[in-house]
Amino acid sequence: MKLKSLNAITFEEEIYDNGQPCLVVFSRKNCHVCAEVVPMLEEAAENYIDSFGFFYVDVEDESDLFKRFSLRGVPQILFFNNGEYQGKLGGLLEEERVVEKIEEVRMG
Amino acid sequence: MSNIYDIVIIGGGPAGLSAGIYGGRAKLKTAILEKGTVGGMAATTREMVNYPGFKTSTGPELTKAMADHAREFGTEINKDEVKDIDLNGEIKVIKTKKGKEYQTRAIIIAVGSQPRLLNIPGEKEFRGDGVSYCATCDAECYEGLHVVVVGNGDAAIEEAMFITKYASKVTIIVIHDEGTLDCNKLSAEKAFKNDKIEFIWKSVVTEIKGENAVTGVTIKNLKTGIIQELQTDGVFIYVGMVPETGFLKGKVEMDERGYLSCNGLMETSVSGVYAAGDVRTKYLRQVSTAVGDGATAAVAAERYIAEQESFRNYVLNSDKPILMAFWDPVVQESLDLLSVLEKTVADHGDAVNLIKIDMSRTKMIAQKYNVSKVPTVLYLQGKDEFTVFDDENCIAKLDAFLKRNI
Repeated sequence: MKLKSLNAITFEEEIYDNGQPCLVVFSRKNCHVCAEVVPMLEEAAENYIDSFGFFYVDVEDESDLFKRFSLRGVPQILFFNNGEYQGKLGGLLEEERVVEKIEEVRMG
Repeated sequence: MSNIYDIVIIGGGPAGLSAGIYGGRAKLKTAILEKGTVGGMAATTREMVNYPGFKTSTGPELTKAMADHAREFGTEINKDEVKDIDLNGEIKVIKTKKGKEYQTRAIIIAVGSQPRLLNIPGEKEFRGDGVSYCATCDAECYEGLHVVVVGNGDAAIEEAMFITKYASKVTIIVIHDEGTLDCNKLSAEKAFKNDKIEFIWKSVVTEIKGENAVTGVTIKNLKTGIIQELQTDGVFIYVGMVPETGFLKGKVEMDERGYLSCNGLMETSVSGVYAAGDVRTKYLRQVSTAVGDGATAAVAAERYIAEQESFRNYVLNSDKPILMAFWDPVVQESLDLLSVLEKTVADHGDAVNLIKIDMSRTKMIAQKYNVSKVPTVLYLQGKDEFTVFDDENCIAKLDAFLKRNI
């Protein structure tokens, strides 16, 4: 499942207004680690169609969003619930690690 | 059409893609499995200036052309990861993370290598929060900041120079004496002239420190033993590579660092299993050498498949009983035996077909019949029924045996 791409405006809507538990992966096109992590998220998303949001931010197109969270590199996965930041995971990741964090965020 | 593949190539970098081109062109049913980016490590290289025929190219451009080329010849490129692999038997089996099972006659391992970790405190903890292995991905985040680069090979020095486009200062930690870098001379000269780059010689990083993100590193001078703290916002680590061969441990012979040892035909210690590119023990790891490996491995695999096929047909369809002689070019005794055997067969009016099997080249047939020493002679009555002659008097015994049976 392709992840829904966010820009500065839709980011506000999805993360803060809707407030559903979700993750946002910050990624860029020419990063090979991202190219491993993003497809893994696309697969994981199949299992959470209505229960957890999966979003994508291209840091080259949306550099302001990237700067706002003062991130040091990509890929970075940020987790939110009710519009509140719940932590992040960076770099090359195993699917198990992400699923663990998703469950943690869902349980609140 | 059979679902059995002729060649499955594990890894879609230049070595795997090149093998895919040769395999597809030879009309073999060929698949490449790639878990990440098609193009592999080469796809992350911004500038490529030494691939013959392309004065300036980029990694993504070059590897995309290779992938398109392989696909045009009918090779599948599938995004998937090997979970389990069984190399015993003529048909090898690969199980993948996506739950697919590949049955294949030959396998080419072209999995390449990954950046080596320093294994120091803070490295894992701050990965993605100031610890990076990819300047292309992350350099931009260090606009106006101070960055430490660990290492002094081609990658370390070239990436350090790339980072100076953004960072205010780059400090390179070098394990060697002052003035000694492992990278190519041209890059070394450029780095020495770059006024944003500083070097700390004869030193190693022993710890990466920070709270939410990296704030500094601990550096130890190997000569004086003096330990100092250095403030930094990011650490880029380029201390060589390690092959991704963990999943082959105990299945394929490797050297002490995990690289696969193979001969000039790219054959590994297992019949029908080949290695190509950075994953094998070799002198130079470049795109230009990887594509050569891939071509050799695919052609060797093609011949191996053909030999297997013709062996099967010959043995199964033979109108006469088969005499199989296992020999090895370095065992004189086995060479002598071959000429004696030829005479014996002729003496019996060529009533049997003599097949000579060079054990140094093909191990599969020997494994199939449980033959472990040379010389050994087998007389095949039926498909799975055979008599073994492998002691000193084997010729005399065989002679008597043939007289009785023919």
